[in-house]
Amino acid sequence: MNEIINDILNAYLPESIIIVFIILSLIASLFFNTSLYKLSKWFTLLGITLALGSTFFLPIDQNDMEIFAFNGEIVSNIYTIFFKILILMSSFFLTLLSKNLIREKRDRAFEFFTVFLCAVLFSMCTVSVTDFAGLFFSIEGLGLCSYLLLNFSKTPNAKQLSFGYFVQEGTSAFLFLFGLSYLYGLCGQISFNGVSDYLAQNNSVVLLTFAFILMLCIFLFKLGIVPFSSWVADTFEGASYPIAAYISTIPVIASFGILARLLLIFINYLPVLKILFITLAMLTIFFSSLCAIRQTAIKRLMAYSMSVQSAIMLLGLSVFSVFSLSGVLFYMLCYIFANIGVWAAILLFYDSCKKENIDDFNGLIFHRPYYVIAFTIVLIALAGLAPTSGFVSKLYLFSAVARSGFLFLPFLIISMLAAVIMIFAYWKLIRSMFRRVDSNVSIDTHIVSPKFILYACALTSVLLGIFADKIIQLCQFAAYYL
Amino acid sequence: MNFLSLITLIFAPIAAAILILIPKFPNHQVKVRRFAKVFASIHFIYAMLFLVFFDTGLYGMSYEKELTFFNISWLKSMGISAKFALDGISLLLVVLTCFIVLVTFVLSKMHIRTKHKLYYSMVFLFESAILGILCAKDMFMFFVFWELSLIPLYFLISQWGNSEARRAAMKFTLASFTANVFLFFAMLILYYYNFAVSNVLTANIDSLSMDESLYPVWFQVFVFVNFLIGFVVRIPFVFFHSWYPDIQNKASAPVNMLIAGTFLSTGVYGLIRFNMQIFPEVFKLFAPVLMCWGVVNIIYAGALSIIQQEIKKISAYAQISMMGFVMIGLACLNQVGFNGAVFMMLALAVVFTSLYAIISSVQFRTKTTYLTALGGLGQVMPKCMYFSLIVCFGAIGVPFLITFAPKLMILSGAILSNLEEELMVKIVAIIGLLAIIFASGYIMYLFYKVFCSVLLEQWKRLKDLSPQEISVMSALCLVIIYFGVYPMSVIQIYQSVSNLLLDILQV
Repeated sequence: MNEIINDILNAYLPESIIIVFIILSLIASLFFNTSLYKLSKWFTLLGITLALGSTFFLPIDQNDMEIFAFNGEIVSNIYTIFFKILILMSSFFLTLLSKNLIREKRDRAFEFFTVFLCAVLFSMCTVSVTDFAGLFFSIEGLGLCSYLLLNFSKTPNAKQLSFGYFVQEGTSAFLFLFGLSYLYGLCGQISFNGVSDYLAQNNSVVLLTFAFILMLCIFLFKLGIVPFSSWVADTFEGASYPIAAYISTIPVIASFGILARLLLIFINYLPVLKILFITLAMLTIFFSSLCAIRQTAIKRLMAYSMSVQSAIMLLGLSVFSVFSLSGVLFYMLCYIFANIGVWAAILLFYDSCKKENIDDFNGLIFHRPYYVIAFTIVLIALAGLAPTSGFVSKLYLFSAVARSGFLFLPFLIISMLAAVIMIFAYWKLIRSMFRRVDSNVSIDTHIVSPKFILYACALTSVLLGIFADKIIQLCQFAAYYL
Repeated sequence: MNFLSLITLIFAPIAAAILILIPKFPNHQVKVRRFAKVFASIHFIYAMLFLVFFDTGLYGMSYEKELTFFNISWLKSMGISAKFALDGISLLLVVLTCFIVLVTFVLSKMHIRTKHKLYYSMVFLFESAILGILCAKDMFMFFVFWELSLIPLYFLISQWGNSEARRAAMKFTLASFTANVFLFFAMLILYYYNFAVSNVLTANIDSLSMDESLYPVWFQVFVFVNFLIGFVVRIPFVFFHSWYPDIQNKASAPVNMLIAGTFLSTGVYGLIRFNMQIFPEVFKLFAPVLMCWGVVNIIYAGALSIIQQEIKKISAYAQISMMGFVMIGLACLNQVGFNGAVFMMLALAVVFTSLYAIISSVQFRTKTTYLTALGGLGQVMPKCMYFSLIVCFGAIGVPFLITFAPKLMILSGAILSNLEEELMVKIVAIIGLLAIIFASGYIMYLFYKVFCSVLLEQWKRLKDLSPQEISVMSALCLVIIYFGVYPMSVIQIYQSVSNLLLDILQV
C-alpha cells in the first residue's frame, strides 16, 4: 500500500486527481438536480486546476531524470510533465468553451464532463506509457471518449457523422492490433525497451518495419494525415463547436507526445520511417490546403487547418533531432493557443447569430472592431505570418528541418510552397471580415467566457512571439531530457 | 547623436496607426487627415536629422540600435536579434520613403473619400514596414518586415481601388507570398550552412557568407537563385512583372505613388544587400546573365509600354523598363556602374512618384485614364502641363534633370567594365543607348496625347491645379532639378558603401 502511494506521488499525481474527479462527477450525475447543471463546469474546472497545480509537485530526479511507477508501466520525466501541462491547460480552456453546449443539454451536463475528464485522463496516460499494451488501451480509450463526445452534438446528422468517425477509428485500431501481433510474434515482448533490445541484436527488420507502419496508422488517423484524412471535414461538420475544438487539440497533443517517444527508441533501427513520414507530411500539407481553399463552411476550413498544422509538426518530427523535437514542442504550444483562440471566436459568432459560413463574417469590422482584430491576430498566428508566435514557431521548425541535411531540402521547399496555399485559406476569412458590405450580423457581448478566451489567446499569441527565447529554451530543455 | 533612435523612427508610424485605429479617436475626416499630415511632417523632419548628422566618411553601418523587451533580446538562443542600423543607401531610401508618404498624404484628400481611419493607419503601417526593411540588420527581421509590408498594401489596393481592384490585389499578394517562400527558404539554408562553416549561429547580414571552399558552386548557385527569385518579383523584372501594371491600373492614385516610390526600391535594396554582399563569387558568375536580362527588360517592357492605351499602365511598364538600367549598372561590377545603379533606383522612385502625382490630378478631373478619351489638356491646365513637362523630361534623361547623370554613369560603367565577355558588354552598352530613344518614345507619346493634341469638347471647363497640388508638384520638381544639377550631393552619401561592396566583390 505504501508503495502504491509512493508511486502515485512520484509519477501519477495529476491522473489520480482526475480519476477522483471522474468518480465524484459520476456520483454527482446520479444525485444532483438538473437545475444545478452549472455546478458541473465549475467542478470540472476545479479538478483540472488541481491537476495542473499538482504537476508542479511531481519530483524530478536529478540523476537519470526518469521515474518509473507501477512496476515500470508508467514513466515520468520532464518531457511527459511538459505534455501533461499542455493537455491540462488546453482542457481548461475547452471546459470554459463548452458552457453553451451544456446549457442546452443540461440534464446530461455531469455525464458530459465525466466523459470529457476520461478523455483528458486517457490522453495523459497515452503520453507516459511504456509498453504497447498500455498504449493500445489508452489511445483506444481516447478514441472512444472522442466518439461519445461527438454524440453530444446538437446538429441533426451528428449521430451519423460521429458513427463514421467511430468506424474509421475502429479500423485504425484494428490495424494497430494487427501490427502489434506481428511485433509480438517476432520479438516475444511488448515493452518499448524489450522491442528495442531485440532490434539492437537482430538485423532482419523488413517484417518489423511493416508491423510498425501498420501500428503507426492509428496516430496518422488521429492527426488527419493523408491516407486517413477523409474523416476530418465530415466529423468536424457534425460536431458542435467545443467538441470540434477538442478533437483538433487534445488527441493531437497526445499523439505527438507518444509518437516522439516511440521514434526516439526505434528510429535508428528503422530509417525508412523518416522518408515515409516526411513524404506523407508533404502530401498532407499539399492536399489539405487545396481542399481548404475551396471550403465555404468555416468548420470544414478549420478541419483541414488541423490536418495541415499537424502535418507541419510531423514534418519537423520526421527529421528527428533535438532541435526539430524542441521545434515541434514550441510549434505545438503556439498552435494550441492560436487554435483555441480561433474556435473561441467562431463559437462566439455562432452563439450570437447562428451562422457558420465564411461569407457571414462580411463587414464585421464595422460593428465589432476589437473582436475582429483579436480574431485576425489568432488567424495570422495560425497562418504563420510576421508579428505573432506563428512566424517564430514556423521559423524555428523549418530551420531545424533545413539543418538536417540535403536530403530533406526538396521536401521542405514543396511543403513551404504548399503552406502558402493554406495562408490564403485563412486569408479568405480575414478578407471577408474587412469587406465593405451592409450586414446585420452582431456579436452578443454578454457571452463572457469565449470572449475572454479569444482575447487571452490573441494576447498570448503576440507575447509568445515576442518573448519566444525563454519558451524555446524551455522546449529545448524538455526535448533534451526525453 | 543620442536623440536619434532608429527604433523611434521605425516604430513611430505603427504607434500612429494604432492611435488612429482605436475607436476613441475622432472619426471626422478632417481631424484624421490633419493628424496624419502633421505626424508625417514631424516624422519626415526627424528622418532628415539622420541625414544631417550622418558621417559620410564612415565605413560601414551607423546609428546601430537593438530592440529589447525588458532587456531580453528577441530569439537570442537562435542567434537572431532585433538589431537596426543604417548605411548610406538605406539612409537615402529612408528619407525618400518619409518624403513620399508626406506627399501622398497631401494628395490623399482628393482621392480617398471613405474609411479615412483605416486608410491613414494602413499607410502608416506600410511606412513602418518599409523603414523596417531598410534598417534591419538581421536577416529574419528583414523578412518579418518584408512580409508585413504586404498586408497593409493588400488593403490599400483592394479597399480604395476601382471595381476590379480586389482581384488584382489578390493576384499581387499571391505572387508575393509565393516569391517570399523562395526567399525564406534561401534564408534558412544560408542561416544553417553558415553555422556549419563558421560555427557561429547568427543571422546578422554583415557576418554571413557562403564560403566557396567548403560548399560546391552548384549549391551556392541554388541559394543565390532562390534569393534572386524573391527579389525580382518585387522589383519587378520582366517575366515576373505581370502583377505590377495590373495593380497600378486598378489602385487609387495615392497608392500608386506609394508603390512606385517606396515599394519597388526595397527589391533593389535586397538584391544589393543579399545577392551582391553575401554571394560575391556567384554574382560575378551571373553578371553577364543579369546584364542581358537588364537589356531584355528595357526592350520588352518598353515595347509593351508603347502599345498600351491607359496612362497608368504606360507609366508602370515604363518603370519596369527603366529598372533594367539598374540591373545593368549592378552587373557592371565597377564603381561608376554601381553608383549609377543606386542613383538610378532613387531617381526612378522620385520621377515615377511625380508622374503618378500628375496622373492623379488628371484622373481626378476627368475621371478617366484612357488615352483615347484625353487630349489637349494643356490648353485648360497649363500649370499641370509645365510640371509634367519637367517630369517627363526627367524620366527620359534630359541633361540637368535627375535621371541624366545615372544613365550616363551606367552606360560608361558598361563600356568600362572588364567582364570576361568584353564584346558582349560593349554591344549591351550600345543597345542601352538605343533604349534611351525608346524611352523618349513612350514617355513623350504619353505627354503628347494627354496635353498637346486636340482638346475634346467635354474637357473645356476643367480647372487648373489647386494650391495643394502645386505645392506637391513643385516640391517633387525641385528634387528632380536639384539632383540633376548637382548629382554629387547624393553620390557622396553612399560613396563609402559602394567602396565597401566593391572591396567585397574584389574587382
